[in-house]
Amino acid sequence: MANRKNKAGKLFMSGSTLLYMAAVCSAVPVGDLLDRASQGSDTLHSLSTILSHELQDSHFPPIGRVIMPRPSMCHTSSLQTPNDKEQALQVSESDLLSLARSLLKAWKDPLVVLSNSANDLPHPAHNSISNKIQQLQEHSKSLGDGLDILSGKMGPGAQSISFLPYRGGNDIGQDKITKLTNFHFLLSCFRRDSHKIDSFLKVLRCRAANMC
Amino acid sequence: MRRDLRLALLLLLSAALESNSMSPPGKPVLLGCRSPEKETFTCWWEPGPDGGLPTTHRLYYERERLEGIHECPDYQSAGKNSCFFDKNHTSIWVDYFLTVVAFNDLGNATSDPLKMDVMEIVKPDPPENVTLLVKDIEDSPHLHVGWQRPQNTDTESGWVTIKYKLRVKQENNKKWKEYMSGTQTHFSLYSVSPGVEYSVQVRCRLDHGFWSEWSNTSHVKIPDYLQDKRPFGILVSTLCVITFIATMCILVMKRKYLKKCFLPPVPGPKITGVDFTLLKSGPTEDAINSLNQNFPLMVAWKDQMEDYLIVTENDIGLEPHPFISQKRKNRSMFSSSGFCFHSEIQSQDSRLSLNEQEKAGKRNHEIQQFVKSNKSLSGTSLSNIEQTQQCSHKQQGTIINFGITEATQQSRSHHDNTVKPLTDSGYVDIRRHEENTEEVDVKTLQYSRVKEMNSDNTLILEKENVSRPGYMDVQRQENTEGYSRVKEVEGDSMIIVQKQILSSDTYYKETGLTGFSKVGVCAELDSGYVDTIPVTHLM
Repeated sequence: MANRKNKAGKLFMSGSTLLYMAAVCSAVPVGDLLDRASQGSDTLHSLSTILSHELQDSHFPPIGRVIMPRPSMCHTSSLQTPNDKEQALQVSESDLLSLARSLLKAWKDPLVVLSNSANDLPHPAHNSISNKIQQLQEHSKSLGDGLDILSGKMGPGAQSISFLPYRGGNDIGQDKITKLTNFHFLLSCFRRDSHKIDSFLKVLRCRAANMC
Repeated sequence: MRRDLRLALLLLLSAALESNSMSPPGKPVLLGCRSPEKETFTCWWEPGPDGGLPTTHRLYYERERLEGIHECPDYQSAGKNSCFFDKNHTSIWVDYFLTVVAFNDLGNATSDPLKMDVMEIVKPDPPENVTLLVKDIEDSPHLHVGWQRPQNTDTESGWVTIKYKLRVKQENNKKWKEYMSGTQTHFSLYSVSPGVEYSVQVRCRLDHGFWSEWSNTSHVKIPDYLQDKRPFGILVSTLCVITFIATMCILVMKRKYLKKCFLPPVPGPKITGVDFTLLKSGPTEDAINSLNQNFPLMVAWKDQMEDYLIVTENDIGLEPHPFISQKRKNRSMFSSSGFCFHSEIQSQDSRLSLNEQEKAGKRNHEIQQFVKSNKSLSGTSLSNIEQTQQCSHKQQGTIINFGITEATQQSRSHHDNTVKPLTDSGYVDIRRHEENTEEVDVKTLQYSRVKEMNSDNTLILEKENVSRPGYMDVQRQENTEGYSRVKEVEGDSMIIVQKQILSSDTYYKETGLTGFSKVGVCAELDSGYVDTIPVTHLM
């Protein structure tokens, strides 16, 4: 009898604790979470923009004027995302969040490759570049965790994530030109995807939380 | 044949000539593209040399995820040598590959391709309606800058997030100072100086794109709030100055009063019975002589314990004066000069010397005068009983006693006979009590002049019924030593004197209202005394 009572008491305690934690977690409004997330994505995009400019200005001619040999498309290009404002505003909130989460997750491995390549990069500013790559990784991780929490509050559609594997491998090239070209290409893909994430989250922030 | 050849040559020549000034167009150059709101974009190019022929330019583009080559949808909206892509033709996060081709009759030229993504070319229009307001002028003036977002940007849906930046410059300074405003469309500047003109400009950017151009400069001058308060300050300061001047004037005008109030005069030394005003006029020779002469007299006077005539005026009542009852040796000397004094011979009195000297001097002088003026009096010894005007107000405690009482029925005075022990120095002591306390002035008293004295106990009084103080002359026998008591006064000029030595058998009686009267001797004892003084003392 005493054992049963003890077990029942413990179950009751643990259950109430879980409920309490769930209640506390849901206490934070979605709007504040989205605001925090959009700040993170803004930082991420800003960093990537600075990094690509740093890479470009010193060594390469203006990319806009010369068609760089494009080895392939970005590994995340298979993901269907809206391409203009009208399309973006028609996507549901949970789908937007899902897209953002998928894109972010797709860059976890390539960022590691970039980080490894930055040390050996034949570039005068490779130390600064390497430092920024590391910051990108940190921000990306924290944003991913935040979006995971958000997904729990935005419905079942937000939970699904598209799998976008990176198949480039660890080697970005042998010679200097190839290395730099591949490095630059990866970085440009990341810059685009970070801008997508930022745009989606800001649309979500406006729509879901009425913070515009 | 030759004609054909010549024609052909001419044609060739003309063609050659013409072809020298004409050429296919030069290669145009794509300058760049710009999207102001992330929904449309515009591209510009610069045409190359046209080769002398009219050339047209066409823009062709390829796009990622779009098949085929497409031409620019709009050459007009953005001006010359431009291509405007509207919303339907604009996609973001895809690469565009643009080329411009120049065409003319002789050929065409293609520009270098341009790869761009809309995401990379975002540059908004500058903010609109920049307004400047100066707020809180009285307390803490600050400059409030307000503006509006560019109209073509869509912030409501969250498609774009605009961040602003403004810069401020003072009118004299050339350096701009920049401030970040975030997403707010207003900004408050607190470090403003009054009276200075400020210039403000605002610009913005979308996400992390390019900054827009600066807006048109707005100017504002901070009002000088000190000027608003200046008239008030002038008013206050003027009032203070006026008040200060008025206070100083009042103080200066009333300085005597203030001096009297804050620095009261130190009282000088005061001796009873001595009038410093008389002293100030300076001593006369007679006075000095009299002072010198009377010194031995004063000594003799002191020895005369009982030789005195007291003429007192007692307005207190019938009671004897306290200091007389205390058996002081009082001597009252009278002179005709209007000087009355009451000398107190006391061993402790320190004032005696001065008083005696003064009075003795005056007395001697007056006595001499009197001697000269009264020829009818034959007696060598004169005893003057005179009462002066100044007796009453001279000394407060003065008692003027008339040894000779008068039985007058005057309304203002009530006479009473008081007995006073007198020495036989020849004075007539008449005590008169004035019930009417208002009448202190001796002027109302009546005086009687003793004309002559009969053999033993006859006193002839010459009564002058005058309101002005006269004097009473008592003429005495030289060797008479004894008292004569005045028993009563009858009428205006009748004095009944009783001589004590004669064992109260005789009295002097004075008869007659006016003129001279003879004094009879009455034989009553219990009346006032008439004292005789040897004239030698006076001389």
